Amino acid sequence: MDDRDLVGRARRGDPEAFTQLMMQYQVPLYNMALRMVGGPDDAADIAQEAFTRAWQKIRTLRDAPFKSWLFQIAANLCYDHFRRGRRYGEMPDEESNKVIGLGILTPDPQERAEASERNRLVRESIEALDHDMRLAIILRDVNGMAYDEIAGVLGVPLGTVKSRIARARAQVQEHLQRYPDFFPSTREDAHAE
Amino acid sequence: MPSEPRIPTEPTLEELSAYLDHELDDDARARVAEHVAGCPDCQARLDGLRQTAYAIRALPMETPTRTFTIPAKPRESFRWAPVAGWIGGVAAAMLIIVVGVQNLHFPGTATTAGEGTALHSNAAPAARPAAPLAQSGAGTQMYDSQTASKAVLSNAATVSDPRNPSRMLTLSTNAASYSSTGTMTVELRLLGLPPGRTALVSLLLERNGFAVLLPTGSGPLDASGYRGTYQLANLALPHPVAGSYTLIAIEWLPDGNGELIARLPITIQG
Repeated sequence: MDDRDLVGRARRGDPEAFTQLMMQYQVPLYNMALRMVGGPDDAADIAQEAFTRAWQKIRTLRDAPFKSWLFQIAANLCYDHFRRGRRYGEMPDEESNKVIGLGILTPDPQERAEASERNRLVRESIEALDHDMRLAIILRDVNGMAYDEIAGVLGVPLGTVKSRIARARAQVQEHLQRYPDFFPSTREDAHAE
Repeated sequence: MPSEPRIPTEPTLEELSAYLDHELDDDARARVAEHVAGCPDCQARLDGLRQTAYAIRALPMETPTRTFTIPAKPRESFRWAPVAGWIGGVAAAMLIIVVGVQNLHFPGTATTAGEGTALHSNAAPAARPAAPLAQSGAGTQMYDSQTASKAVLSNAATVSDPRNPSRMLTLSTNAASYSSTGTMTVELRLLGLPPGRTALVSLLLERNGFAVLLPTGSGPLDASGYRGTYQLANLALPHPVAGSYTLIAIEWLPDGNGELIARLPITIQG
């Protein structure tokens, strides 16, 4: 069953249909918020509020894709979060928070530690971005959205999306290059593809 | 005099980044590709952007730290529901959804509510069905003796994917009725998954629109499924505990598609 069927049922007040939409999007939505605001609790608050608002406003959704609409709600909540003056929280640590990811299991403790450190550096580099660039690159590289989807979420032209993602990547790259071991064999890896 | 081959204009940062994402139109993509092929500097720029994107994409998708709820009806004023636990009454019918999307099989992640184990790590292979279960009707749930006899546990229901009838989810328990202090054994079988694929599964015990999550291990499940035992006294069931419940298993693929929902009636006696 695709989104349109579920959205149609949800618009008629079917909570089970909306629940299925929630289940489908809660992980990507939560992770978008998590990478934006940093703290797991704040991210969960934002995801919860986004779902609640979406459910309450679902009857106003016409032709727009549900996914873009939902993420737009969450993105606005992230900006509200920043406007309220909340500081960017401490970036979550998957070890201490017992959050387990969808990555590949790295059984070796040393490799896991290295992966954790790499992830920490990446999170730190994302944190250093301004909010607009941060959101654009999260939607692209965390959530895997296409540019037109991102444009729909952000309400900006495609060219702006393209620019924000490119500049964000350049800044993250610059940040990560401060750590000499981060890109040990960039050229060789790329050419091996 | 023949003109020398002309290398296309050096691409901008935006073009290289969009090239990486396959977000350029055909002409621009061809132009960038041609230039990059003959320009080591731009190859290096592109490699750097690619490695950066890969590093970001390698961040783990993390599990929400709590359940998400919605009010019973859209566009209705409401009070925030407790994140976990039960609220009595029909007027507050809420849906509590939890997804145990965890992928890495770390030890020590079991909750006090259950003692589930992934079959792929613990179950004896001989306990698995010798052949796929009989297909149910498309998108329908089946309760029958054939399913029950092939499932390890006696009380069983199977649902199939209407788009791929060979893909099925079987939910079974060792009984249909338990005492409030009893132990319920639940087994999930995920049939028809492509080799190497896993699925995300949530298991909930629901009554009157409220549900509690039953943990299902620490990661997506593969075709070998899952078996877990749950001490009912340890679950945050409503009071009075005795009543008619529905055990719900929801399976979907990591891309968010192909959800299957199996339901089993469960009675808990006081």
